[in-house]
Amino acid sequence: MIYNIVRSILREAENINGYGLFSFFLFFGFFIGVLVWCFLLKKNYLNHMGDLPLDGGERKNLSTDNNQSEKI
Amino acid sequence: MNTNIETFKYDNRIVRAFAIATVVWGIVGMLVGLLAAVQLFFPDANLNFQFITFGRIRPLHTNAVIFAFVGNGMFMGIYYSLQRLCKARMFSDWLSWFNFWGWQTIIVAAAVTLPLGLTTSKEYAELEWPIKIAITIVWVAFAVNLFGTIVKRREKHMYVAIWFYIATVVTVAVLHITNSMTMPAGLFKSYSMYAGVQDALVQWWYGHNAVAFFLTTPYLGLMYYFLPKAANRPVFSYRLSIIHFWALVFLYIWAGPHHLLYSALPDWAQSLGMVFSLMLIAPSWGGMLNGLLTLRGAWDKVRSDPVLKFMVAAITAYGMATLEGPLLSIKTVNSLSHYTDWTIAHVHVGAMGWNGFLTFSMLYYLFPRLYNTKLWSTKLANYHFWIGMLGILFYVIPIYIAGVTEGLMWKQFNKDGFLQYPNFLETILQVVPMFRLRAIGGTLYLAGAFMMAYNLYRTAKAGQFEPDTEAQAAALEKVPVIAGKPSWHRILEGRPLFFTVLATVSILVGGLVEIVPMFLVQQNVPTIASVHPYTPLEVLGRDIYIREGCLGCHSQMIRPFRSETERYGEYSKAGEYVYDHPFLWGSERKGPDLAREGGRYPAAWHYNHMDDPRSTSPGSIMPRYSWLLTQKMEVDTLPSHLAALRRVGVPYPAGFENGPAQKDLQAQADKIVADLKLGSVKADSDKEIVALIAYLQRLGTDIKSAPATAAVK
Repeated sequence: MIYNIVRSILREAENINGYGLFSFFLFFGFFIGVLVWCFLLKKNYLNHMGDLPLDGGERKNLSTDNNQSEKI
Repeated sequence: MNTNIETFKYDNRIVRAFAIATVVWGIVGMLVGLLAAVQLFFPDANLNFQFITFGRIRPLHTNAVIFAFVGNGMFMGIYYSLQRLCKARMFSDWLSWFNFWGWQTIIVAAAVTLPLGLTTSKEYAELEWPIKIAITIVWVAFAVNLFGTIVKRREKHMYVAIWFYIATVVTVAVLHITNSMTMPAGLFKSYSMYAGVQDALVQWWYGHNAVAFFLTTPYLGLMYYFLPKAANRPVFSYRLSIIHFWALVFLYIWAGPHHLLYSALPDWAQSLGMVFSLMLIAPSWGGMLNGLLTLRGAWDKVRSDPVLKFMVAAITAYGMATLEGPLLSIKTVNSLSHYTDWTIAHVHVGAMGWNGFLTFSMLYYLFPRLYNTKLWSTKLANYHFWIGMLGILFYVIPIYIAGVTEGLMWKQFNKDGFLQYPNFLETILQVVPMFRLRAIGGTLYLAGAFMMAYNLYRTAKAGQFEPDTEAQAAALEKVPVIAGKPSWHRILEGRPLFFTVLATVSILVGGLVEIVPMFLVQQNVPTIASVHPYTPLEVLGRDIYIREGCLGCHSQMIRPFRSETERYGEYSKAGEYVYDHPFLWGSERKGPDLAREGGRYPAAWHYNHMDDPRSTSPGSIMPRYSWLLTQKMEVDTLPSHLAALRRVGVPYPAGFENGPAQKDLQAQADKIVADLKLGSVKADSDKEIVALIAYLQRLGTDIKSAPATAAVK
């Protein structure tokens, strides 16, 4: 049903020559794939990745600004 | 667990060098922009000096802010963050400095050649072929350095910022090479290998993605690094950042044709461009929300910290620009906005808000850290924020009003069915006050940049530069550090080469689906029997048209609207441009479209108009081109130009350039001189104005010269 709706919408575009349909489903498949993939990722992995910028491996702590005292 | 802790040093010198270059070129680029803006309401601001006339400095401004200001800002941020995310010094210091000096040399070359009129005329790709080759070499050096650093990293995982850097490196290389396919016709002259509608598609596939992969993806990577650093908290959702990345790199590349809606580009390509542009809202807003939500619980910091203040404004501008862009891609909206100042306002929200403010925030973040001190004046940085914000508002609001006004006036019919404003000049004069306000906005923004430069200078003076920062990290292990079964994505981003290949495939799909059929399917460009190659004199005239940057203000593409065909004549057909190397459709109208200019006015009118536009069009904002009346045509280079055009497919007979062309040129020049005499103008046949008039008088006349029924093969 969704296929038919999308097809009829895209067919109304003149001279679409099937490119619209092909492109839409290509992206749709790709996007769903990425979505599924993302939700299968483990929590500890995501936490580790999110923390990566906060640990640059530098050896010293510096207070470099009135408002910032984090590791540089 | 690996206990082999290694000590190493991050290279801060290269970061400082790019930071200084960012500030210097940023100010230069904005100054040039201001000069161009002033000329739009005070054309004599060029001092009748050809090298600083609008048509030549507009590309200088765009190149300076995109490739010099944002380009250096991008390198600055990447060189700082990549080392820290990889827990490794850059792969090669030599390559780092080659990248730096090579890039600065390219910028200087652009700053010299563009005012000289040495340009390909393709927007954001104006630099001539030797400089294009230099860009390729420097970019490859950057890529080797980047991938080398990734390979020798001590952190197993590649943070999302690095993915954005990889996508940038790969895509910019693909775009630059594809769009730079030109045939040299001299040391600083070349003709695009593609013609007309195909050239237009390749150019805007490039042009749009220059915005996407030079101004957006690297800066998104920088946002994902510097925002968590400045806010001292991880990104809101790492999952969302993964979706943001893959959806964005896949979608962006398809959107280029939205620059060519209602043009002679085949309809299927236009529709694809529109649909994919609309879909771009989703990942773009996902990214924006991810950025803003990273500040959850830290909004109190935004009030006092200029770094975060600039970042929040930048991310908001990104959200606004990426909502507006897709909306402008809807064909009906585009029919109003295209060619007007609306587009200029749109790009400046992105350039001044997103790129400019994010660059400022990075500079305010980095200088205290590079110099081991506090920012010299937080107060001055806050003033910078507000003056910059005012500058943006004073810039974009008048220009939005100007854009909508232009679009509506161009389309307005009176009750008798005639154009309400048949004189194009009337519509431009209506918005000149807005151009004045825009210049005030630009001045405020520039003043803020000067304040920042002073603040950063005082910060540097107060502190002590740390050329290297010592760091420690465990050497990279072969097995994953995190316990548990490795996931798909962990495997993927643990293998940079495989990851790069996948990202490349993602960006190539859209390009291939759109561009390959344009070259293979013949019916995409129906040929027209009466369309012939330009004569030698017209080729010279066209070269002058390109040199002077006429397409910065005049389009050559009449869209199939009644408001356009009433004003300009028959709408443009793809087959009319088959010998246009490069295409000169333009993207902006500060003056009328010229696609059917041929025969509209006598030769003497053009002569007087070029000498002083206000003598023929009172109130015109076009600059004087009086040097065309005195400078001699460069006929010596004609043979090489014609030969190059033949090589790219223009059917000049063999040997035409050695003799017959010169005779043809002289005969046509004499005829133009005779036409000028009829208008009481005495001119020599060897002057540039004669060639330009020949070209202008040819424009759009081919399809008039054959019976309509027999015209299309």
